[in-house]
Amino acid sequence: MGEEKVEARVDFMKYALFLGCLIPQRIPSVELAARKLFERLGVEVLDLSGYSCCPDPVVARLADRRMSLALSARNLSLAEQLGLDIITLCNGCYETLWEANEAMKQESGLREEVNGLLSEVGRKYEGTVNVKHIVEILYEDIGISRIKEIAKPLTFRAAVHPGCHLFREADGGDIWRKPGMLTELVQATGADVVSCKLDRMCCGFPMMQVNEEAALKERLHLKLRCYEELMVDGIITACPMCILQFETGQISLRKYGLKYNFPCLHIVELLALAVGVPTNELKLEFHRSPISQLIEKMGV
Amino acid sequence: MTDLAVDEILEGLTREVKARVIYSRERRAVVEIEPRSIRKAVEILSNKGRFMMLAAVDEGLDIELLYNFDVDGTVVVLRAVIAKETSEIDSISDLMPAAEWAERETAELFGVRFKAHPRPAPLLLPEGWSGSPPLRGPFEGELPAKICPVAESLISVGTTAPLSPHMQRKRDEAGLPASPPASYASEEALRELQELMKRVAFDKKAGYDWERKKLRRG
Repeated sequence: MGEEKVEARVDFMKYALFLGCLIPQRIPSVELAARKLFERLGVEVLDLSGYSCCPDPVVARLADRRMSLALSARNLSLAEQLGLDIITLCNGCYETLWEANEAMKQESGLREEVNGLLSEVGRKYEGTVNVKHIVEILYEDIGISRIKEIAKPLTFRAAVHPGCHLFREADGGDIWRKPGMLTELVQATGADVVSCKLDRMCCGFPMMQVNEEAALKERLHLKLRCYEELMVDGIITACPMCILQFETGQISLRKYGLKYNFPCLHIVELLALAVGVPTNELKLEFHRSPISQLIEKMGV
Repeated sequence: MTDLAVDEILEGLTREVKARVIYSRERRAVVEIEPRSIRKAVEILSNKGRFMMLAAVDEGLDIELLYNFDVDGTVVVLRAVIAKETSEIDSISDLMPAAEWAERETAELFGVRFKAHPRPAPLLLPEGWSGSPPLRGPFEGELPAKICPVAESLISVGTTAPLSPHMQRKRDEAGLPASPPASYASEEALRELQELMKRVAFDKKAGYDWERKKLRRG
């Protein structure tokens, strides 16, 4: 990202927070960290009351595109009602809502059809909302310099796993734009980010439904082996699905005689630690990987 | 029979058994009825038409029954869709004797039970047949089985998985609201969401049973 870095915009920032399904239900420490981080950075968030699943970018869209678009548009209309842009903490939610938003903005026939459905429940989506991933908010709206200003340096070797959906861009866009932001955000904490040849590869989460053994042995294991060779202390990602795969996947790999023990954190958890949120306030015990080992290494 | 006469039959079916005319054109009309109305519908037709044939189609979760009648040169089809879980409908053999063999054939090949059939004996299959009805497929809808749990959860609570009481407790202990402000935390939001599911007919596609709040299972 280097020269194109966007500088801090520390004026009033307010967004609608879209929590999605996985974070509140499986890793609430990410929700907790995000709320505490926003507070420290002076970002105001309003919850999207009555939101539904984004819905799921793989299963729901394949199952029924009209249903998927109707649910996404309803979620977008909730943010429009608040007059706010949406923040997502999940790559999957980002992709689903972003794509639905673009489709609603650009395809007038589709917008009419979906609004016809929404009107049955008294809603309408005009297309005024922007959907932003948390790394875009942190990098573009808050800025690396603001984060560095308040972050205390952490010392550890980090592997950055962007996750597949973070690479999605509009046609012709730079697919490394958001992954690059994520890497710089991790570096802003003082972490030594190592480059792994398999950074672009999927963690295997979506494959688990289809072929669990292949997802674990031909995706997750290959990445973890690479991290082991690079003597990584912890994995940082921007996606709760990837966290689940890294954490529960390491446990599942043991049945194949493959033992790994890498801690894995979401970027908001890492930044919350870096800006001084006490460890015990983050409830990191929701994780299923050895986070305390990483905390010790970081010197928090 | 004139078009006017066919119109009268369709009007009678609509009025008496709340039939829905799917289409009506020259010499052919298809009418959808509730399975429980089959005898009443046949009674309306009985003094004007003759039974021609009964066709069955396995639709995965349901069986479609198409009763074809000749009404003086116009084919009138009564369409009744029965749930595979029960697979039963009243017999019309006493009203239309020509339907007796057609019902027996459908019973054997698709596993449909025609209630109060006068002679429910096998017709086509070899004596001692112990296999399942040969034209009856597995109980499965349009969605692949692996997607079904997600579809069920999306329709019933609006998320990919319900929030467990254990996690609600853990969230509360962590200082978070026990439940996030999601659709499942608001009756109004959930109602709105479920209405959308019905509007896009995803409930039908997934085979959702609104009474049991679950996907139908065979």
